[in-house]
Amino acid sequence: MGGQNDSVYNDSFHGFYKYMVQKDEFCVLILGLDNAGKTTFLEAAKTKLSKNYIGVHPSKITTTVGLNIGKIDVAGIRLNFWDLGGQSELQSLWDKYYEESHAIIYIVDSTDRDRIEESKDIFDKMIASEFLQGVPLLVLANKQDVPECMGVREVKPIFNKNAHLIGKRDCMVLPVSALTGDGVDEGIKWLVECIKRNVFLRPPRNQEET
Amino acid sequence: MGLLFSYFKSLIGTREMRILILGLDGAGKTTILYRLQVGEVVTTIPTIGFNVEQVTYKNLKFQVWDLGGQTSIRPYWRCYYSNTDAIIYVVDSADKERIGISKDELVPMLREEELADAILVVLANKQDIPGCMSLKDVHQALGLEALKNRTFQIFKTSAVKGEGLDMAMEWLANALKNRK
Repeated sequence: MGGQNDSVYNDSFHGFYKYMVQKDEFCVLILGLDNAGKTTFLEAAKTKLSKNYIGVHPSKITTTVGLNIGKIDVAGIRLNFWDLGGQSELQSLWDKYYEESHAIIYIVDSTDRDRIEESKDIFDKMIASEFLQGVPLLVLANKQDVPECMGVREVKPIFNKNAHLIGKRDCMVLPVSALTGDGVDEGIKWLVECIKRNVFLRPPRNQEET
Repeated sequence: MGLLFSYFKSLIGTREMRILILGLDGAGKTTILYRLQVGEVVTTIPTIGFNVEQVTYKNLKFQVWDLGGQTSIRPYWRCYYSNTDAIIYVVDSADKERIGISKDELVPMLREEELADAILVVLANKQDIPGCMSLKDVHQALGLEALKNRTFQIFKTSAVKGEGLDMAMEWLANALKNRK
């Protein structure tokens, strides 16, 4: 009898402990054309926001055909990043992740004027998905370290053309250089606020046993 | 105690990475192992049991286990799971008939707790054969989009020609170095 009571006590204590210690977990999907800098951005974010993390040197980052994950604890929550391959044949795999995502980071290569329209078309296709309704969007005009690149003032109007698709969700265009790390934490901080505001629409993902 | 020990080991950095090469029979696992180790194509016979070799790549030492892939010996793969740092899963891209079986072996394996932290590299091998499956075909046939908590990457390789393996190992070496 006593043993049974003990186990009930232990279970509830364990549950309480977990409640106190575990952070709410949210998923952030990183998308964009190939060579936009998605993996470099993820490495920069991990380097900036987690202690003692030494990122992969940008020169060693290769084309992603698969998935890179990254976990970052910031502002009392845990962000779980999914960095997917951006090549056109892989874009059809993106929507498998939409339903479980709490935010999208869409990365644009600001130096590639030839492909900016292609990037915008893919962006429109993505935000039209019913599974992403109400999910905050952060558009990053990447590679701002390159002198000839397009600034936010040039990139923003291109991506705001289809305002009706963006609708009421939070959407922001920010300049960033994943290579130097400039702008990386500002973007993530903005996204964290949006994710917290949006928690009624997209509650944190259920905690799994670790 | 264990934590202290592993911390100490990480300081010295001499721990060998333990890597399993898995996949159906005839996928090219043994050819890949010896490509990695001696850089040559060796004549192989179907592996009954396992081959194990030490491979050094970019200052990282790998202990690479190549386990036999035949139906009757696949159940023994699980005996080798513990302490595995990475799995190299080899697929015969020209074998469209058995890609489903390959998926059925991979999916339950990735659910094993002992492999929860292992990095996955999928090699879409035999890309030298005309009409073989593309990366996307292999990705979809294996149902890789269901993997959401694991870093993985898929590479085109031709073990007999020696193509693609360097890229895959380079990525794996970096992924292992930067694992948190």
